[in-house]
Amino acid sequence: MSQMFGWIGKILRVDIGTGKITTEETSKYVPEYIGGKGVATRIAWNELKPGTGPYEPDNMLMFMTGPFTGTLVPTSGRGSVCGISPRIYPSPWFTYGTMGGDWAAELKYAGFDAVIIKGNSPKLVYLWIHDGKAELRDADELAGLDTFVTQHHLKEKHGHQTQVVCIGPAGENRVLWSTIQHRLSNSIGDAGLGAVMGVKKLKAIAIRGTGGVRIAKPDEFIKICRKMAEMIKGGPTNYPHPTDLPYRSPVGPENQQCSHGCPLGCGSLHKNIPAGITVGSGTRNMMAHCEDYAFIYGEAATKYPTEDIKDIYHGDMYTRETKAFGERIGTELQALCEGLGLTSSFPINYYPWFWVCIENGITEIQGVKLKPDEPKFWFEFMKKVAYREDSFGEIFAQDMMRAVDQLELPSVVKKAAKFQFPMYGQPSHRQGRSYESQPSPLWINTMLHWIIDSRDPMACHHQSSFVAGWFPPHNEGKGGTPDSNMVKLKETYKKAFGTSGGMEPGFENIDDKTKLAVWQDNRAQIKDSLLLCDWVFPAILHTFPSRKDYLEAKEYYGDIDAEAKMLVHLTGLDINTDYIDKAGERIRNLDRAIHIRNYDRSREIDSSGEWYYEYPEKSDGTKLDMNIFNAILDSYYKHRSWDKTTGRPTRTKLEELGLKEVADELEKIEKLKR
Amino acid sequence: MPSTTTSVDVPKSGKIIHNPELCRGCKICELACSVYHEGICSAHLARIHVVPDDLALEFPAQICHQCQYPSCYYACPKKDKSMCIDSETGARYINKDECLRCGKCERACPFTPSLIWQREEDSKKIYYKCDLCRGRDGGPICVEFCPRNALTFVSREKSK
Repeated sequence: MSQMFGWIGKILRVDIGTGKITTEETSKYVPEYIGGKGVATRIAWNELKPGTGPYEPDNMLMFMTGPFTGTLVPTSGRGSVCGISPRIYPSPWFTYGTMGGDWAAELKYAGFDAVIIKGNSPKLVYLWIHDGKAELRDADELAGLDTFVTQHHLKEKHGHQTQVVCIGPAGENRVLWSTIQHRLSNSIGDAGLGAVMGVKKLKAIAIRGTGGVRIAKPDEFIKICRKMAEMIKGGPTNYPHPTDLPYRSPVGPENQQCSHGCPLGCGSLHKNIPAGITVGSGTRNMMAHCEDYAFIYGEAATKYPTEDIKDIYHGDMYTRETKAFGERIGTELQALCEGLGLTSSFPINYYPWFWVCIENGITEIQGVKLKPDEPKFWFEFMKKVAYREDSFGEIFAQDMMRAVDQLELPSVVKKAAKFQFPMYGQPSHRQGRSYESQPSPLWINTMLHWIIDSRDPMACHHQSSFVAGWFPPHNEGKGGTPDSNMVKLKETYKKAFGTSGGMEPGFENIDDKTKLAVWQDNRAQIKDSLLLCDWVFPAILHTFPSRKDYLEAKEYYGDIDAEAKMLVHLTGLDINTDYIDKAGERIRNLDRAIHIRNYDRSREIDSSGEWYYEYPEKSDGTKLDMNIFNAILDSYYKHRSWDKTTGRPTRTKLEELGLKEVADELEKIEKLKR
Repeated sequence: MPSTTTSVDVPKSGKIIHNPELCRGCKICELACSVYHEGICSAHLARIHVVPDDLALEFPAQICHQCQYPSCYYACPKKDKSMCIDSETGARYINKDECLRCGKCERACPFTPSLIWQREEDSKKIYYKCDLCRGRDGGPICVEFCPRNALTFVSREKSK
């Protein structure tokens, strides 16, 4: 299989319980499942039996790359990690996360498309992968080290260019907020898989490789990569390009890309911050992105269109906002958070909730005074949680929903937690109710991703968000692009999909909206399997070389065939956009089948978050009721060919996707709609 | 002070200059270089190497300086057949087909690590180095692909 193009051809299998290390051929799974999350989903269907819990040896941690990983494809540096997550509320299930950095490319250069970890080790170990070889090594000397020191230590030992993914003290202590961390600020966070790595007693994976990814048609591949890099160069945060920035300089030297092979720079660089942190290496550098800014600049709540909406939000629940502690303290807090191996969504979600507690007379929990406006409180809180210190640390080491279940609190405070974590114990994100506004029809679109996924899908699928970034109502006062033009945006969607119905506000054109959401979700599977950055692909929009070009453009259409065009020249296979779309559909349906077989996924579960959307969207006041929700879900299932009553795929659909044996197995356990 | 007139008998070369202040370690240069020259995306096979310190956020790179006194060229036992000077750009380059694989050029390179790289291919040693993408329209591919203007090509005419 050494003759494969794009894929390396080997998957590394490590039974960390017995120490047995084997390999298997990647060709068992590709091109049908592409790579990344797609291949992981196939392996999960084959091997994760119903009833397997997140901490059991049979759970797997799957570190995945895709055919694009480690190549010239722009934004191809991300990797995906999949497994059963203890973080999912009310009960754990199979889910996924993606992160950037250099580890995924290095893994391919070391000779593997993926590493699948099974079993639980009796003692703390790390996995050392180098040029086709892999060995488990004792990690006693890494025990308790923060994520930066762990990386530093393994780089010292195995060479400076070694790439390391690891857990910090939080992961070792099975904290549900714990991350799998890499470099600065790259992590698998809300997927909750850091705790699984902790239970497996796998402190780190260190990777070094001198191989490469073979390209089938180098000349054509170079040309198409150059063209796509050009198309996206304005970067997701500047969609469409708002200023006259010179050619090839969409980002300034203060910006940092998160990943290998990325020509953009969404993160901001915080260099040489005089850190006063008391654990670990005291890193003085951070890369900040999105919620990492929480305590640096503070996050302000969005405006409300009318007083009554404001009343609802302030009377019934809270909205997310944090206090700015400034660059120095904010960065120190972020460094501590990531050093301990906690996700950044942890402080940003606890901050407003602690304020709800205080406003409702709860000023102290388990003997700890709540002082969310004091940095000291956060330094101590994070350490308590990471080390599970005292009953306070023990309780909050769980996710917020589980913590609240255990505490005696006024119902309004409990409701506030539920409002912040409306589905699967995942933080509300791009739903238009909590933190960000997401005016209609954007929240209807994001809702359709939320209700059928297994986690916060928006963290891995920002497709709708960068439209929202310059959508007129959203960008008001938020530094977006005031010239955004809805007419042109609709033209763009018309060009891409033959209709702009998916972008019409309100509940008209529901069929167009659900059809668009199905397409986006299929492409999200592809994007997590190839892998690509969710801020850029699929590229419905493109950027402009100058403001003038942008203003004069009739529409903003990018290229939704970009993935296929690049994959063809990379692999030499006869692959087109239809093939890509179908593969995405196959991955989604197989994931659905896992969730039906293992967790009784149903229409009822899909509808469990409906209550959230009965609250008005915070910037335009739009909302729905159960009737509208049901009409939307019916339409969505119709486009998926899923049964209306149960939400299960039909045999016809599964067979059409080459999943006959999946249909057979579901039928055997009476979970298939005939 | 002795005369600064050089007795070097080879023409000056253009060169690629890397600015670590603008570089952010995306390694697109390595990818473009290796796929263009080898048909494989690989950091190891690239003729330019970015060697960032990920935690310190420092981004140095290693690339041939196309020295005005090319020690590698003078060390080569098959000068102008194996180690050659490109008539267009002045690049000091290895003609793979003529290379004796003796490694003298690699050892002669005054830099550490040597900026002439080696790899094994069918248990033979292959030496390779930056050739400024000789013959390529648009000049060196790494410069063209760098998204941050961290790489600049200076032609032999402008080269100091």
